Amino acid sequence: MSGDLRPPPPPGGSVGPPGPPPGVDPYRIERNWMAISAELFAPQPSRVERWLRRLSVPPSVTRLMVATPALRRAWFLALALVVFIGLAAADRSQTREDLLTLLVLAPLVPVLGVSMAYGTGSDPAHEISLATPLSGFRLVMIRSATVVACSVVVLAAASLLTGAVSTMTFGWLLPSLGLTAGSLALMTFTTPRRAGAIAAIGWVAAVIVARNTSGDPLAAFTATGQVAMALATGIGLVTAYQRRDRFDLLAEST
Amino acid sequence: MTGAAATVPIGNPAQVMVFGATRRLGDTEAMTSVDLSAQGGLITVLGPNGAGKSTLLRCLATVWLPDSGSVLIDGLDPRHESDRTEIRRRVGYLPQNSGLAESATVFDVVDYLAVMKSVGRGSTHPERWRRLEVMELLGLVGLADRATDKVGSLSGGMRQRVALAQALLGQPSLLLLDEPCSGLDPEERSRLRSILGERRRRATIIQSTHLTEQAAFGDRILVMASGMIRFDGSPARLAGLADGKAWSQPNQPAADATRTYWMTTDGHYRCLGSPPPGAKTVEPTVEDGYLLLLNP
Repeated sequence: MSGDLRPPPPPGGSVGPPGPPPGVDPYRIERNWMAISAELFAPQPSRVERWLRRLSVPPSVTRLMVATPALRRAWFLALALVVFIGLAAADRSQTREDLLTLLVLAPLVPVLGVSMAYGTGSDPAHEISLATPLSGFRLVMIRSATVVACSVVVLAAASLLTGAVSTMTFGWLLPSLGLTAGSLALMTFTTPRRAGAIAAIGWVAAVIVARNTSGDPLAAFTATGQVAMALATGIGLVTAYQRRDRFDLLAEST
Repeated sequence: MTGAAATVPIGNPAQVMVFGATRRLGDTEAMTSVDLSAQGGLITVLGPNGAGKSTLLRCLATVWLPDSGSVLIDGLDPRHESDRTEIRRRVGYLPQNSGLAESATVFDVVDYLAVMKSVGRGSTHPERWRRLEVMELLGLVGLADRATDKVGSLSGGMRQRVALAQALLGQPSLLLLDEPCSGLDPEERSRLRSILGERRRRATIIQSTHLTEQAAFGDRILVMASGMIRFDGSPARLAGLADGKAWSQPNQPAADATRTYWMTTDGHYRCLGSPPPGAKTVEPTVEDGYLLLLNP
């Protein structure tokens, strides 16, 4: 087996490093060498991580955001969906009703991301991370916030690409938050993927019911709908917090 | 009991107390009325598949809670959120499926867990100390020179060593290792024993394994079967169960008095059970005792 971490040899090679002078703790010298070696040989933070730090995100949080493999996969999936939605909508959105596809599908993007960013099915390190002092609720909130922030930025760009400038263009924003909070609350009852699926199906059903009831295809995105989604956001977050113990334990099916 | 009631400070081997712990998985009792008391040393949980070894380790790691009975680590009860967090500061856990991200580097997967364990917290340069500990541990498991390699490029044994480095982060006073020898070659197993041998002075180490030779190395063995502890004692005592009941003979034995037998490399049959008159009994091993215990 190889791989011992030792100080590099001195320049010139033949002259060995001098022994510690009398009274100097050799353990301390060894540890200092180790610290220097760690700084020299350990990989430096990635570009994305350095960029996040410049935005004043604490290093411990950037590591959790960037070094989470499940989050990366969730991001890619969310981004691919967003690009698809944005391009498809940009082609046709000449009227208010043409925004329907974007408005209905956009809130599903962060839900998908969140459902794939936590739990045994998505995170290979889920079990070992549960046995650490970092609370599962904090971890899932960091990941969710990252997915939502990323989704919102790209969805906003996609919305602007549609060329339809009205308040309705951004009507997906509160539903995105409401559905994400709702799926977080559902995750305390069932698996993250099932929670995401329930939230998504519930959302599509709500849009259809609202349309059939009022006759307006965009009824779910009017002021009443937005208030309802703001309420859903609050209720979802409160429920998830109150049942946060569930994020700290491994699912029985594991 | 709450965090304030903890009596064993961090730095000493953790005190583990389990009282009548039962855990069901669906309709099956994966662990039934398990009692255990330990502080310090290397304890090996031995048993066949489905014996409840991983269930016990998961309950000790606080990722599962027992349905009934209780688990106390240093007097802390994982059913309370604050106690659970405090226990997790003291625990190093290597689950059976360590789940390392293939696309991440070796350094990143260990550092990621170091962040979760708040390694370096309270020091003047937390990040620097965290990186130092990660590199030290990678050196300890012989992977410092692979720090920048992707996990996907490592062999099974190397991945297991990465997972071991994760478990050792933060100087845990309770080290829980579920099948730590999985995928390790003899040289790597020897290094693992050396690491555990050094750590057993400062931590309570509980490992599960199928390998009786690994169990023989420990201070104490628990044999589990059908969710229950069937034996709790030293390796010598487990081997002693086969005292006078292990023998060797050149011919295949008759099935009546022999509970189990197998052919050894010298072509003889090693037999366990009631030796026939004139049989040449041999020095029993931990494996002999284990096999006799599970095949009464």
